[in-house]
Amino acid sequence: MNVGASTPLLIVAGTAVVVLMIGLVPDRRLAGRLPTLLAAAGVLATLIVIGVMWGDRQLSYAGDLYADRFAFLVDAVVLVATLCTLGLSWREPAGVDRRGEYAGLLLLSATGMMLVAGAGDLVVIFLGIELLSVSLYVLCAIEAWRERSLESGLKYLIVGAVGSSILLYGLAFLYGGTGSTRLSAIGQTLGTASFTQEPLITAAMALIVVGLGFKASAVPFHMWTPDVYEGAPTPITAFMATATKAAAFAAFLRLLAGAMPDLNSDWRVAVSAVAVATILVGNIAALQQRNMKRLLAYSGIAQAGYLLIAVAPGSVLGAEAVLYYLFAYLAMTIAAFAVVVIREREVEGGDRIDALAGYGRRRPVLGAVMTLSMLSLAGFPPLAGFVGKFLLFGAAVQDDLTWLAVIGAVGSMISLAYYLRVVGVVWLGEPEPGREGKRLPVPGALGVVALGSAAAIIGLALAASPLLDACRGAAQALLAP
Amino acid sequence: MPWVSVIVLVPLVGALLLLAVPPGRVVAARILAVVAALGTLVLTCILVGLFDRGASGLQYVDHQGWATSVGLTWDVGVDGISIWLLVLTAGLFFLAIGAACFRLPERPRGFLAALLLAETGLLGLFAAGDLVLFYVFWEAMLVPFYFLIGMWGGARRRVATLKFVIYTMVGSLIMLVAVLATAFIAQDHTGQFTFNIQALHGVPFTGTQSTLLFLGFALAFAIKLPLWPFHAWLPDAYTAAPILVTGLLAAVMSKAGAYGLLRIGLPLFPDGADNLAVPLGVLAVIGIVYGSLIAWRAPTMRLVIAYSSLAHLGFIVLGIVALDPYGAQGAVLQMVNHGVVVAAAFAIVGIITRGSGVEEVEGVGGLAEGAPRMAGVFLLVTMAILSVPGSNSFAGEFFILTGIFRQQLWLAVLACIGVVYAAVYALRLYQTTMNGPPRGDGRRVELRAVDSLYLLPLLGVMLVLALWPGGLVGATRASVDRAIAPAQVAAGRPASQISASIAANPPAEDLPLPGGAGSGP
Repeated sequence: MNVGASTPLLIVAGTAVVVLMIGLVPDRRLAGRLPTLLAAAGVLATLIVIGVMWGDRQLSYAGDLYADRFAFLVDAVVLVATLCTLGLSWREPAGVDRRGEYAGLLLLSATGMMLVAGAGDLVVIFLGIELLSVSLYVLCAIEAWRERSLESGLKYLIVGAVGSSILLYGLAFLYGGTGSTRLSAIGQTLGTASFTQEPLITAAMALIVVGLGFKASAVPFHMWTPDVYEGAPTPITAFMATATKAAAFAAFLRLLAGAMPDLNSDWRVAVSAVAVATILVGNIAALQQRNMKRLLAYSGIAQAGYLLIAVAPGSVLGAEAVLYYLFAYLAMTIAAFAVVVIREREVEGGDRIDALAGYGRRRPVLGAVMTLSMLSLAGFPPLAGFVGKFLLFGAAVQDDLTWLAVIGAVGSMISLAYYLRVVGVVWLGEPEPGREGKRLPVPGALGVVALGSAAAIIGLALAASPLLDACRGAAQALLAP
Repeated sequence: MPWVSVIVLVPLVGALLLLAVPPGRVVAARILAVVAALGTLVLTCILVGLFDRGASGLQYVDHQGWATSVGLTWDVGVDGISIWLLVLTAGLFFLAIGAACFRLPERPRGFLAALLLAETGLLGLFAAGDLVLFYVFWEAMLVPFYFLIGMWGGARRRVATLKFVIYTMVGSLIMLVAVLATAFIAQDHTGQFTFNIQALHGVPFTGTQSTLLFLGFALAFAIKLPLWPFHAWLPDAYTAAPILVTGLLAAVMSKAGAYGLLRIGLPLFPDGADNLAVPLGVLAVIGIVYGSLIAWRAPTMRLVIAYSSLAHLGFIVLGIVALDPYGAQGAVLQMVNHGVVVAAAFAIVGIITRGSGVEEVEGVGGLAEGAPRMAGVFLLVTMAILSVPGSNSFAGEFFILTGIFRQQLWLAVLACIGVVYAAVYALRLYQTTMNGPPRGDGRRVELRAVDSLYLLPLLGVMLVLALWPGGLVGATRASVDRAIAPAQVAAGRPASQISASIAANPPAEDLPLPGGAGSGP
């Protein structure tokens, strides 16, 4: 069994249950700050445990769950995202009124993502994806007094269910074709016999790419993203943008690069095609957006496209690049959302881009945080986004996919127009009279998240070596038989 | 002491310290900015003294790991070409920051910090010995210039900044792919994975690879220069920017593209450079003629200088793509010359505009009567713009034309048209504003003591360069010869013209053993 190897998962899941229970206590003093603090403590403890357990692969539950460097690193992305989300929600209405549910569901969703990251079996992957999705459906709709929030939850539920069922279909085909649900056994079966052009496996691959494409918001399965992002409570949007993306890409890497390395020449076609569409559509659609959350949604779609560039080669460098970029993307996205959350507290409709007009001159620090985030998303050196793109494109060039890297570069050029527009509005724009909003003090937790993520944008680039070493180890663990 | 790293980082430290100065303390901010810029200049001058002028390779190399597992390193050094561009950058930024301190715009701390950041970007670019680091500085310098134009610029600055950044980024993102491709393709040939420019010298790329890679880099350089027809960002940016920043864009930033051709394009991809030398030369000549014609009819004084700069940069590119020691030598000389001259020209235009409140050439006239000192200085600068024999630009332009005459006679003949037109637009600008029927009060544009403080050093440098171009030529020759030698060989130039030997890559004794893998990424 080796239950010990699944300690991180158990801590998070256990904390989630305890937090949910505490939320039911009628005493407001007890149910006040306690759930959030407890959840944060649980996440921090898990991060420490991961640091201690960092090492060679262990199997738990007879191979259903891997505890390897890859799983740990993706866990770290998810847990840091969870921590940041808890910080962002510190004074949010949903976070305050339904604290127990809110923090509990967040942790359950994180549990699902960790299951995906460590999955050694098709069933576990599906279980994890369902757990993370169902928790998120509720979280999206948790501001039940807002129609937009309800709409967001419902949309996500419907589209998410379609995506999940397609994925399940693909997993079933894969089981039908190989006779096993174990990833290691599938890998061996596919490696020994020639499965290239086998219709069942090809169909399974296509369905898996589609199903995971829904979760990663890749084009053409991205339609839900802007609406859901716009309607959901902003911290939850930040969580979906970062953690869900990490889980979806973990699943991509586990299933494609990890379990079917021998069929790379087949699935790289599908992944490349989706990557091209995602980059172009995401970037072009983002040009038209007036709402910051929608803009970040489309930018997130485009960034998913860049990530797919490095999934396509299925190489160690590719997996390393994806993992590093997930961290970089986490820092830049959280920084942007932190500013949006702060602005939303100050002014009605604070999630519109116009609401940020001239904001940099009134609050230079927050303006700088937003600027760093936008420049890094656009890939300006020497920021984390640049190092990440450098690695992603490098992985493609190394594997003779230079044309894909060129598409990525073209996408980055288009993206400049909207990222720089935000920077321009922040520093050069003039606020509409009467719409400057109040100047509220920034809650401590929010400020820490904003400054911390901005520091990470610079720090991850200038001191990239330790993280890159960790990513290299994780990528090797992923591709090890 | 890691001289080059310190020189590159001093302005950055200055900029960061500036942001820590409390908003009200403008005097402290001024002192800090001037000290940082002066410190950089002094260190650069010391480095010039220490520098071995006869050697051709990189000196004072500083090599530090950054993310070595993926090939990212901090790798800076100077050779005979880059050292003079460092001096140019440090000197002009010191003068610019000094001048800015006398007339500070709103939000002075941010302005000075952005200037210092831009200085770091340019210094780093000229010192970079590694393709990725080169790219990092190439891009990073855009951000301070974006803010300098966007926050302190004039009308239509939003459009100008957007155009400026998008144009430049279009080129540079392709360059990023080319950087990656260079390293991976070179690994196939040599078995060594590196972004170090020195280590990539002489990699035997095939003709197609070399041409495509050269094209990837050349596009970025052409946009930054700018070379016709990639110049559409130039009039907007030069008009919208504060004139101080316009001067720096024209004097220093435009050299980045030409430097890139000499440092990366020609030595690393000699076959590609040979294949594309004539097309680039044609674009350069079109730029010379086009720039001169537009400068002749340009409505504002700023645009006259801006388009004249386009023409002069055409000459510089022509000198480089001649693949001739004289041409390249002249190009390097002209880079420094043009930097000094155009900075002085923009300074003069700035003073006239400030005094008279008029931007248009036709808006002022006969100013010489009230401003004799101004007229004298302006005349000297005008003579330098049109490269009158005896001015500092003459030697550079002469070298360039000699080089191109030797290799491509027809391009030289066409380029000479530009020399004629230079006289037309430069004299028109001078005559309309200084002579002719009086419009506006000349006394208001007369040089003040403060203005002389930054104009006289520029004039002094122009004088030194005019009288003794041999000093600069002698100190750069070894590096220039080394930079163009591979392309000369590829172009089949006679051995008598090639004075540097080119190294084989990988060196014979370092060839990997059969079956032994190189150090992969």
